[in-house]
Amino acid sequence: MPDIVVCLKQTVDIYQLKPHPETLEPQFSQAQSKISDFDLNALEEALRIREKHGGGRVVAVSAGPSVNQLLIREILAMGADEAHIISHPLMASADGYVTAKVLSKLISKAGRWDLILCGEASLDNSDYQTGPRLAEIFHLPHLAYVSRLEISERSIRAWKVMEDGVHVAECSLPAVVTVGLEINTPRLPSLLMIRAASKKPIHEYKLADLGLGEDDLKPYVQLLELKALKVERRRQKLEGTPEELASKLADIIVEEGLARR
Amino acid sequence: MTVLVHGETPQLSARLVTAGARYLQGETFNILHTGDLPPETLNLYGGAGASTVYRISQELSAAGPAMIATTIAMTARETNSTAILLSSTKYGREIGPRVAEILQGSYSTECTQLEKTDSGIVVRRLVLGGAYQAKLLMAREPYVIGLQAIADVAGGAGQAPRVVELSAKVEAPRIELVEVQRPEASHVDLERADFIVGVGRGFKKKEDLALAEELAKVLGAEIGCSRPISGDLKWMSEDRHIGLSGKRVRPRTYLALGISGQVQHLVGIRDAKLIISVNIDPNAPIMSESDYAVVGDLYKIVPLLTEKLRERLGRR
Repeated sequence: MPDIVVCLKQTVDIYQLKPHPETLEPQFSQAQSKISDFDLNALEEALRIREKHGGGRVVAVSAGPSVNQLLIREILAMGADEAHIISHPLMASADGYVTAKVLSKLISKAGRWDLILCGEASLDNSDYQTGPRLAEIFHLPHLAYVSRLEISERSIRAWKVMEDGVHVAECSLPAVVTVGLEINTPRLPSLLMIRAASKKPIHEYKLADLGLGEDDLKPYVQLLELKALKVERRRQKLEGTPEELASKLADIIVEEGLARR
Repeated sequence: MTVLVHGETPQLSARLVTAGARYLQGETFNILHTGDLPPETLNLYGGAGASTVYRISQELSAAGPAMIATTIAMTARETNSTAILLSSTKYGREIGPRVAEILQGSYSTECTQLEKTDSGIVVRRLVLGGAYQAKLLMAREPYVIGLQAIADVAGGAGQAPRVVELSAKVEAPRIELVEVQRPEASHVDLERADFIVGVGRGFKKKEDLALAEELAKVLGAEIGCSRPISGDLKWMSEDRHIGLSGKRVRPRTYLALGISGQVQHLVGIRDAKLIISVNIDPNAPIMSESDYAVVGDLYKIVPLLTEKLRERLGRR
């Protein structure tokens, strides 16, 4: 019955994000926040492990500039037992180093655990950093890009999706596992679960509670500029019968598509 | 500045040296190599411009990312390296954060450009689903950089690099690699393909992909796919997956068949010179991301197109 910590990030919903027409900067205020997709897969996997092994705690941790309690309630409604969170405005400029440091302190508040589960990357930055950094901080083995996970008494076996195929690997517990979208489909909480979740504890911390100061939130990597990439395509729409379309396409491919670089 | 380079294969290490030297001119590039070091590999490194090869005789990669990361960090310290260049592959992304954590340096991955400035190294990378480019200042040494090594190896015979043998007495958490389940398909190098036919959820059955394969054969094209095809459906191997968590390709032409054009896929094809799409849904996002967007049924159009091209190109 492993106890599991799941790291969850609140990010902007990138699918709603539109660039400012002139500055090309993303208009964050016009998009909603959500839990990063992969992190929900991590939570779902933790819940499935608990169900399969008949027990164990599932603890959610989250750090950000202003962690939205409603989203944390959703996590608890899905089935996490408790949440440990910290909000600090300086987390808006956090890099992978700061994020992992703060999360590691939160995790240290979460009691004993056997496994840390994270999404393989975040929806907004896709940095792929949090899992391996936590593994290094806690001096643990890390299994990444996991599409299937089996857990036994003191060890885990994971199917890692790599470029050249699936790597089946094992390590001992405690460990860090980062998961991809393929591993499962996150559940949607029922009304009953949402109601039950209102009684579950959310522990909110201040920086000092974690033994941190504002200096600890200074990133090693700073954002200088963020702009939408504009690739202008010709956007010619072709319509007609399949026969006509195939002819036009053949022309385009022969005349333009196959030209050598 | 001394730069320590480690790619997961000799080819990648050599490409990283070439790409790195383009941005950080005049710096010294050394390679950390594990396992056997045959003369042709040493020549490859020399041709790319490496000064010294630090060699560890054991093959460490099977023991997992912590072993190799700890070894890289140790070597970087011993060689006073101010920058560490890694590949932006899945392997590179497992080890990079660990190296940065051990050395307490700044880290950035999937960097497409590097620029040395007085306050650190400025890199660019895509964020927010690949739709935006971030310009980042890596302010703290050492700089641990995952570089998109798309450059070819600078050819030619360079000076033979000096070889320094290191012994790796590293303690780090291990993983055991039990087995590698390779896809039945042979290795594809999508990053270098001139013409790619991309397939997506518009195909209803795995067998129907034969339509795309026929077309690709006539065109001499490679086949790539969106994430659902290789991920959820497993109709194709992961090495054909184009997108945010797969390959970034830069063909002369990308022909998207039945691909709706989610941002995660679009980021992978952004560098295509010409994008042509066939999709039955006139409102699919791919329509506005194409140079030529065909609204129609790929099941009807693709066989006709294959036939016409076969005639035009005089191929079987």
